[in-house]
Amino acid sequence: MINLPKKPPPSLMVFLGIPAVFLFSYYCFSKVGFNLSDFRENLQNRYIVTDPLFNPKWSWAIENASEAIIETIQIAILASIVGCFIALPLSFYASQTTNQNKISFFLYKSFLNVVRTIPDLFWAMMFTVAVGLGPFAGVLALVMFSLAIMGKLLSETIDSIDPGPLEAAKSSGASHNQSVFTSALPQVLPNFTAYFLYIFELCIRASVILGLVGAGGVGRIIETQRIFLRFDRISPIIVLILVVVILIEQFSVWLRRRIL
Amino acid sequence: MNLPKQPVQQKVLKYAITSLIVVGSIWSASGLEITLEKILKAPEQIAILVGAMFPLDLSQEAIERILPKVAESLFIAWAGTVIGAIFSFPIAFLAANNVAVNYVSEATKQILNGIRAFPELILAFVFLPITGLGALTGTLAIGIHSIGTLGKLSSEVIEGIDEGPLEAIKSSGGSKINELLFGVVPQVMPTITSYWLYRFEINLRASAVLGVVGAGGVGAELINQLRFRDFPRAGTVLVATVVLVLTVDTISAAIRRRIIKGRSIKIDQ
Amino acid sequence: MIKFENVGVVYPGGVKALENINLEINEGDFVIIVGLSGAGKSTLLRSINNLVKPTSGNVVVDGNQVTNASKKELKKIRSDIGMIFQTFNLVNRSSVLKNVLTGRLSQVSTIRSITGLWPKEDKQIAFDALERVEILEKAYVRGSNLSGGQQQRVGIARALAQKPKVMLADEPVASLDPVTSRVVMSYLKKINQDLGITTIVNLHFLDLAKEFGTRLIGLREGNLVYDGSVDDVSDADFENIYGRSIKSSDLIGEDD
Repeated sequence: MINLPKKPPPSLMVFLGIPAVFLFSYYCFSKVGFNLSDFRENLQNRYIVTDPLFNPKWSWAIENASEAIIETIQIAILASIVGCFIALPLSFYASQTTNQNKISFFLYKSFLNVVRTIPDLFWAMMFTVAVGLGPFAGVLALVMFSLAIMGKLLSETIDSIDPGPLEAAKSSGASHNQSVFTSALPQVLPNFTAYFLYIFELCIRASVILGLVGAGGVGRIIETQRIFLRFDRISPIIVLILVVVILIEQFSVWLRRRIL
Repeated sequence: MNLPKQPVQQKVLKYAITSLIVVGSIWSASGLEITLEKILKAPEQIAILVGAMFPLDLSQEAIERILPKVAESLFIAWAGTVIGAIFSFPIAFLAANNVAVNYVSEATKQILNGIRAFPELILAFVFLPITGLGALTGTLAIGIHSIGTLGKLSSEVIEGIDEGPLEAIKSSGGSKINELLFGVVPQVMPTITSYWLYRFEINLRASAVLGVVGAGGVGAELINQLRFRDFPRAGTVLVATVVLVLTVDTISAAIRRRIIKGRSIKIDQ
Repeated sequence: MIKFENVGVVYPGGVKALENINLEINEGDFVIIVGLSGAGKSTLLRSINNLVKPTSGNVVVDGNQVTNASKKELKKIRSDIGMIFQTFNLVNRSSVLKNVLTGRLSQVSTIRSITGLWPKEDKQIAFDALERVEILEKAYVRGSNLSGGQQQRVGIARALAQKPKVMLADEPVASLDPVTSRVVMSYLKKINQDLGITTIVNLHFLDLAKEFGTRLIGLREGNLVYDGSVDDVSDADFENIYGRSIKSSDLIGEDD
């Protein structure tokens, strides 16, 4: 009889984890009030929304929301450009490949991590209190938003670049900044561009919401109409926004293909 | 010596992109009436706000109000992610052009794109009149949006698999279901599971925000405290959110790494 | 020109890379270092420009203390030492010219290097260096579009652009075929003869060492076990350096 190898026991994590996941999920669903019969009852009310929703008032939307939509786009453009370019040097400090100082690396990386945890709307709320209502607060909020995402993505990319050219530059007596600029930055430029376009798209979507808390853009119009249940005005606005988003997405896909 | 000439195309592209960025920024900034004055005043104003938040309000009352809300955001995010995961999984197969027929996968992809296009907040808007204020609305909004994003990502993973094992199963007489279960699923599960966890991290932030419109979670707390100028308490809400999200992020990242890496098994000789 | 005074290198973890190295290299020498992988060749080379800092002893280059030099002094010392690498270490996405210009970084202000407004003299030095390795016409070609041999020539040009007093080459031909290797080695030899730059090359191909070297240094397990003229070295000496008999993988051979 051959010696059969022993079957490795299921890992502890899987053994405990999977039942834990099921239990926790059940708990969560009960806590959020998921009740099938109530839910069915609620669905009866859907006509409050669906009737006006499918009855869009295009002229009203175009007349009143166009300016706000442009404002939304401007917020996204400015915030993504400023946020991503600030994130560029930060990312090099947040990667051990280009920052050998352990303390400084830890500080920059932690800063990026903490900024990432705060949702964009929270930033918007705080900035409206600090600098007042309006699109400026919105731009600042999305700058933090873009900074955080670009910081994480780019620093992780920098972590995996080829350190060879950096070593070569250092060995010729170049300063740290010169070495990073000439030998590390070119390696990540294509990634930076791709991430920038991605973040720009995210900013457009995020910027739509900002108006809710008074940080500019079309959100405030949506909010006012929502309170009066004017979904007949909201749906054309949403469609307009969607069209803009799709156009921008196509443009960025085209741009990506040309540059890379 | 014969000096070579620099190709013109490189320079033109660089200048075009730079001018695009500069023009775009200036157009936006002027359209939004963002002046240099405003920019220079901002750091001071921010510092004032941050200063007003400390020391944080850590009183019994504050904690009793805030902690349940923070927990509620967690529950909403988890439940929403579960909804997203469960429904997106089969849909992803329908959307994958190497599993489903072409027109089916195209149609499914378009439907998913449609769902994805709506931010969770807009979905919450739509559900509010139907399911009322509270956590359920938030869960539905997050759940449905997650079906869209997870569906698209999962279908891309499925489309990117190695067809080799499938061929092996087919050639040994396995059915299409066998192919799916033993060929596709084992290949895609690690990546798809890590996407679920990543989605959970993002949904946690979304659920915090949904409270602003009354769909449950800690967002309502924050906006109320800010409106009433109770900055120390607002600061507490922020710190609580940061702590929760950081914890979840760290645990989730660790689990995701472990899933992708796989387990090392000791072999006794 | 270069003096090793009792140099030792112990890596964290206890590995003794170099032990008790006492060595003097004269200006204009063309030195080839041979030894097994792990014998300490790379460590020896890198302790000359302090990319690896010796844990004991001193390295002196052109009268300057290298091992304990301050950051500022180290930059000045390094600007006089050019280095080429086994993996070429070019910035792939940048043009050949940009790569060679990085050799001038230590002489040019940060602002100018970032904006790309290199002074005319520095650009001319770069072009001269490229011409010396006969690759001037490829100045605006992307680094990654060149063959291995061409990339290494750019590496040499980059080091030359520093106008160095010393040239260090860490296994410069290990990734190249026999014909290209000989081309690269002959460039190094010619530069040493024409410009009088002290050159130190790490090689693990023994026949190449005999073909191009004048002075040979053998390392074994971190110790200096041979130091003499290439003409005097015998197969027995090589076996002593390697601690085993010579294999065909130790010879680069010819192209068939």
